[in-house]
Amino acid sequence: MSLEAFHHSEPLTLGVELELQLVNTHDYDLAPYAEDMLRLMAKTPLPGSVVPEMTNSMIEVSTGICHSSSEVLGQLTQIRDALVKSADKLNIAIVGGGTHPFQQWHERRIYDKPRFQELSQLYGYLSKQFTIFGQHVHIGCPDADAALVMLHRMSRYIPHFIALSASSPYVQGQDTAFDSARLNSVFAFPLSGRAPCVLTWGEFEQYFDKMTRTGVVKSMKDFYWDIRPKPEFGTIEIRVFDTPLTIERAAALAGFVQSLAAWFLAEQPFTPAEDDYLVYTYNRFQACRFGMDAVYVDPASGDHMPLREHIVRTIDHIARHATGLGASGALHMLRGEASGGQNDARWLRSRMQDEQLLAEVIRQAAMRFRGTPP
Amino acid sequence: MNELMSFWTQGLRPSAGLPTVQWSLLLAVAAVTGYLVQRYSGLPKVVGYTLVGTVAGLAGFSGVVWPLQGIGLFLVELAVAVVLFEAGGRIPLRWFRHNPMVLVQSIAESALTYAAVYWVLLWLGVPERAAGPLALVAVAASPTVLTRVVADTRAAGPVTDRAIVLATLSSLYALVLGSAQAELLTRPAADWRGAIYPVLVVLGVSIAMGALLSLLVRLALRVMSPGSENTSILLLALIAAAAAIAAHMGGSAPLAALLGGMLLKQLHPRPWAWPRQMGTAASLLTMLMFVLVSTVAAQADWSVKVAGVVLALIAVRLLAKAVGVGVGNVGSGASWRQAVWVSCAMTPMSAIALLVASQFVVAAPSTGGLIASIALPAILLMEVLGAVIATLAISRAGESSKPSALARDLRKAPYDKEPS
Repeated sequence: MSLEAFHHSEPLTLGVELELQLVNTHDYDLAPYAEDMLRLMAKTPLPGSVVPEMTNSMIEVSTGICHSSSEVLGQLTQIRDALVKSADKLNIAIVGGGTHPFQQWHERRIYDKPRFQELSQLYGYLSKQFTIFGQHVHIGCPDADAALVMLHRMSRYIPHFIALSASSPYVQGQDTAFDSARLNSVFAFPLSGRAPCVLTWGEFEQYFDKMTRTGVVKSMKDFYWDIRPKPEFGTIEIRVFDTPLTIERAAALAGFVQSLAAWFLAEQPFTPAEDDYLVYTYNRFQACRFGMDAVYVDPASGDHMPLREHIVRTIDHIARHATGLGASGALHMLRGEASGGQNDARWLRSRMQDEQLLAEVIRQAAMRFRGTPP
Repeated sequence: MNELMSFWTQGLRPSAGLPTVQWSLLLAVAAVTGYLVQRYSGLPKVVGYTLVGTVAGLAGFSGVVWPLQGIGLFLVELAVAVVLFEAGGRIPLRWFRHNPMVLVQSIAESALTYAAVYWVLLWLGVPERAAGPLALVAVAASPTVLTRVVADTRAAGPVTDRAIVLATLSSLYALVLGSAQAELLTRPAADWRGAIYPVLVVLGVSIAMGALLSLLVRLALRVMSPGSENTSILLLALIAAAAAIAAHMGGSAPLAALLGGMLLKQLHPRPWAWPRQMGTAASLLTMLMFVLVSTVAAQADWSVKVAGVVLALIAVRLLAKAVGVGVGNVGSGASWRQAVWVSCAMTPMSAIALLVASQFVVAAPSTGGLIASIALPAILLMEVLGAVIATLAISRAGESSKPSALARDLRKAPYDKEPS
């Protein structure tokens, strides 16, 4: 199968996908209610879509094509309110977060859809361990070559994205000591991690053809890269975000991506190179492990600095591009969080320290998602 | 030599008496049978417990008397109370505000069951004074059986949750109306004030004990973690005390526990972690309950004439529950397919039905024999058959993590793939 042509999209347009947890309201463990939620949600006209995910305690919602983070927030608010209404009807709750803190992977059931069944056959228990929840952000690119350059420029900011969205410190009832343990589950899959450093669509087509000839890859969906091109949408898709606990943070992260992309397009600030990836895995690990307290190694200069400092510096640098996109509020929120060393992982840990019961932490997280302070 | 024998005789004398030895051995056999039934057929352990109790009952085991009384009655009430307290906690009242059709579904299936069974029994020539109580017995679906099936098959999902809630609510109606009606039979009233008094006593005491129970647990949870073993022990002890006091003061022990669970969920919407901690103590109690219920139920006077009435009662009950669940399903958020499996999962009858029947037998000895002769075989049959039907229904709905061998053979669903 050859690679699909890179379709046209309006540059800097946004699309956001959120994978969400369905939990019961008794002990707040994952609840296999995806089919019921989809049935109820189908009755409500909404922007974007609601679709099933790998296991039947997960659903994925997505916005339509948006032009700003405030439009993203508006659409996510509509979808969230409809989700909450359906969940109330079924006596379940919806929660954000990159992992469910105490679910047992072996209790999960694969959603009855051919692709998920095929993946389950291929990956065995990994597919059930893939009960993890991420946010994907699509950003429109002017053309195919520009998309690949954008992809590799964005790669320098993967640690920033991870630290700002990290919300998966607990796995199987244990504190992993990571802020984002979710990405460790993704790493188990072959073809995860970084995309090959090619900067033109022609080269990328050659790479794709070689991969398909090996029989390992059939479509772009088989790549589990942190960022991958999405030719049918004319976008690149950033996939390292944990699903935040609130839709406000999800929209703000989209605003951050959009502002970075606007900076890249307006100023072409640097040319990506293979050497950028020398520190990629280290920076990624630091962000997953320590979140806002990570160390960031600048791929260009080799300088070491606190990641939160680099986040603040980056936000200040792109602020003027954010203004034109209406993303200033979003960046202001993220800047404040970064300055204070805050993210959702830290919130989850602080709740756990007070409550000493992960199920109660989930209940409070569910209230945050529905916009009701716990 | 004689001195030596005398020493051993003294040494071997059971300290707690022969009944204790009999019950211990019976429970040991039930434990082994339950295990073997689940291992080799995939059916829930409760089927094994019931079979052992049935054999013991048919063989004339005299460890328990009918109608239930004394320690036997208390143990059944306690076991039911523990299950109902937890089941009551699964019913947040706010759910009915968001989805009133669930309440409609519950009332529809219970009312239809009562009316259909009552009418069919009258049509079959059962006197009215027995048909009414038997119809109430038939209303009670069994959350006790259902929760054991769910535990054994590690089931979770919309059908499982809906069935437990509807079964619990049907038990609530049967306990309230059954206790009140039994009180009325005990003390026939001259006017409406006299008639309402015993009803108020049953309800008032049960509600008061339920409220006290929930408040005490709520207070304990201010300082104790719900995940702690000690919290579970405290909970068991408080339920036992509430059950004993409620029964002593003229209330209904299971009803008090059920209301206590529901009230606690309102006062304390935080997650319930203690069911995981209850562990072996609660399992032993429920196993004892199933053996006891089947032992008692097997002691009924069996006859061909009664068998027809029993089978008719069971058939009409199944049909009425299915129609009731279906009628109320519109707009309740569940699919028609799920409604079918929910109604199947609600077929078991067990300890709660037995307690309601026992109340009528005590209250009206003249009709007690007739009520027991129909109710006991129906309960026994539906404890075993109901557990099997519920297991298959939950499995066919794709909600068992551990489907039974029987269910596996019957379906080719793509769920439940265990990693190889």
